[in-house]
Formats: sequence, structure tokens, C-alpha cells
Amino acid sequence: MLKRFDPFAVLALVGIPGAAATVFFYAPLERTMGVVQKIFYFHLGLAAAAFLSFFVACVAGVLYLLRRQRVWDERGTAAVEVGVLFTTLVLLTGSIWGRPIWNTWWTWDPRLTTSLILWFIFTACLILRSAVEQEEKRAVFCAVMAIVGFVDVPVVFLSARLWRSIHPTVIRSEGIALEPAMIVTLAVSLAAMLILWRALFRLRCSIQRQENTLLDLQQQLQR
Amino acid sequence: MTLPRQILLLYRKDLRVEVRKKESLIAMAFFGVLIMVILNLAAGLDRRLQAEPAAGVLWVAILFSSVLGLGRVFAREKENNCVAALLVSPLSPGALFAAKALVNFTLMSFSELVLVPVFFALFGAGLQPGLPVLLLLLALVNIGFSAAGTLLSALAAGTRRNEVMLPILLYPLCLPLVALAVKATGAAFGGRPMTEIRDLIESMAAFGLIYAAAGYLLFSHAVREA
Repeated sequence: MLKRFDPFAVLALVGIPGAAATVFFYAPLERTMGVVQKIFYFHLGLAAAAFLSFFVACVAGVLYLLRRQRVWDERGTAAVEVGVLFTTLVLLTGSIWGRPIWNTWWTWDPRLTTSLILWFIFTACLILRSAVEQEEKRAVFCAVMAIVGFVDVPVVFLSARLWRSIHPTVIRSEGIALEPAMIVTLAVSLAAMLILWRALFRLRCSIQRQENTLLDLQQQLQR
Repeated sequence: MTLPRQILLLYRKDLRVEVRKKESLIAMAFFGVLIMVILNLAAGLDRRLQAEPAAGVLWVAILFSSVLGLGRVFAREKENNCVAALLVSPLSPGALFAAKALVNFTLMSFSELVLVPVFFALFGAGLQPGLPVLLLLLALVNIGFSAAGTLLSALAAGTRRNEVMLPILLYPLCLPLVALAVKATGAAFGGRPMTEIRDLIESMAAFGLIYAAAGYLLFSHAVREA
């Protein structure tokens, strides 16, 4: 059950430096923002992966409550943890970009606020996890929290319209407002981030599985 | 027993406990007034507040004081292991959720009967009361907050650190509701008509509906483990 070799980890090992190389050596320099703009390629990939993991956490939560199989708790936990990590990186990369471009580290823009609220919700989920010891109770509680956190997303979006937006919208319904070379770079870094996400997710799942197996063995020994 | 009768039975039981002990309501009203006084210091003494910051003061006081009551309603059942008794009884978990949410709604409404007049006495100068709109907004926030709070208080009661966990879990989820309420109440205090804040009111109602449905569906899972 322990895999020594994860193809996604190898792919990520090639993909992330590859994406970085594409960003720095292939993508053209943006005219007004200069080199600062290059963080956008990572920022968008991280954001996509973060939202994906919250969706996965919600689905895993629903399936755990329906089927009560341990594997769904493992997946849900892995998704929430990786999601919090990626959202943190989204907020950090956004801040680093915003400082020179918007002249501020933080602004109450809808997307920034939405990401921040999601970060709070899923970090609360991690805190909840650390506060419960019994395995099944912890799994149920985290599943419930992941579901209610995810169903909050539509209302967060609705309320986020209250704040005025200065966030650039690169991908609109009319098309992508980028140079062809930039679109290629974006696609490469997006793919690399999703592969990295998958690798981290699998790694975290297998750690969780080993922890559970260890607990089972300990319980058998105590008997 | 039909569902409404089950809900009524549980609701009356909890209200009776509250009327006899009066532990939640006094604490909620007292703490709420205290928060308003503290926020008055934070906003700068003797300064007349604009409509929107004033709305913020009102909602912070209401929501921070409400969490005291929300936590108690479920923790009380935990103390003598009454949760187990309720689950063994032929009452459905959905009825339990609805009754607890109604109790929380009632507690919030009663504490607001104290907090809103005190708020107008302290900060009311220059504000339009806009009473019908304010009552609607209070009702919507009470519905949303008590629905989400009831579900999460079942989770919090099952952890080792009940009093610490509930605010940590509840406030991030309720942030959008608070933002909408502050915006809408600010508009009402500024004397603007209700048609202007219709989409805010609809979003708040959506929040209440989402969490009433989520709570009704998920509560049975949460309460069995609590």
C-alpha cells in the first residue's frame, strides 16, 4: 500500500522548474509592469489549484458522510491541508505583486476578500481537526466543516461585490487578454501547478493512511 | 408525533430552562452593551458616527454577544449527557436542529430588544432609525446566524475546547453575512429606500436558506458524534 514511486511527483519535479524556465526565459516582458508581472503565472495556477482542493474537500466530505469509509477522510484532510497551503501562497504572491503595482500590500477587493475568507474557513477546519482526538468523530466533524465551508462560497461571492474591484480580469468571457506567448506560459505553469497539487495531495493522503495504519497496529498491540 | 409537535416540545423545554436559569440572556445583553461601550472608545470619544460605521458597531455587538448564547444552548445538553437521551428518544435529529435553531433565534431576538434601544441611545444622533428595514435585517441575520451557529455549536460541543472552538468555526462562515448586514443597515441608517438594498437583502436570505438546509441535512451526523 505504500508506493515508493509516484509518477506525479516525478512530473512535478520536472514540471515546476520547467514552468519557471518558461516564465523567465520564454514569456515576453510585460510593457508597463515589467518583471513583476511574471508572478501572475504562478499566482493564477496556485489559485486554480486552491479552489480545486476546496471542491475536492467538499466532495470527499459528502462521500465520507454517506459511505463512512476511511479513505474519504484521508482525501478530505489532504485536500484541506493542501488547499490552505495554496491559498496562503495565492495571498502571498498577490501581495508581492500588489505592492509595486497597486502601491499597497492589501486592498479590500472582492477576489482578495473572497480568498481571505476561504482561507479563514479552511484554516478553522484544520484547527477543528487538531481539537478532536477520536478518529471517527474527527472525520465526521471535518467532513461537515468542509461541506459548510464550501457551500459558503456562493454567498461569499455575492457579498464580495460590495467591495469595489481593482483586480485585473485577465480571463473574460470574450477571451484571454494576453499575448499568445503569454497564454502558452500561463498554460504551462497552470499545468505544472495542478501536477504539483496532485503530487502533494497523494503524498498527504499516503501519510494519513500510514498514520491510521499505525494507530490500528497500536490498538491491536494494546489488546 | 408529527415534526412540528416535536419541534414545539423541544423548543418549549429549552425556553423553560432559559426562563428559570436566565443564564444566556443576561450574559448576552450585558456583553453586547459592553462591546458597544468598548467600540465607542475605539471609534474615538464624543464623535458622531457616520451611518455605516454605526451599523458596524451594532452588528459587532450583536454577533459577538450572540455567540455566548449559541454555545450554551448545546453545551447544556452535553453536561448531563442529555444529547444521548435526546438521540435515544423517538425525536428526529432534524426536529432537534430546528428546535435548537429556533431557541437561538429567540435568544438573539430578545437580546436585541435590549441592544438596539441601547445602541440608539448611545449612537443614534443623526441616524435614521428606518425601523421596518432594520427589523427585516435583524430577522434575516438572526435566521442565518442561528442556523449556522446551531450546526457548528454541535461540532464545537464535541471538541475538548468548546468555548474556544465555536467562534473560530462560526465567524469565518458568517463574515459574508456580516458584510451584507453592515452595508444594508448603513444604507437604512442613511435614510435610503429599501429598493436600493434589495439585492443585499436577497443575498442575506440566501445565506439563511443555505444554512437552514445544510444544518437540517448535516446536523444528524454532527450530533451523533458530539
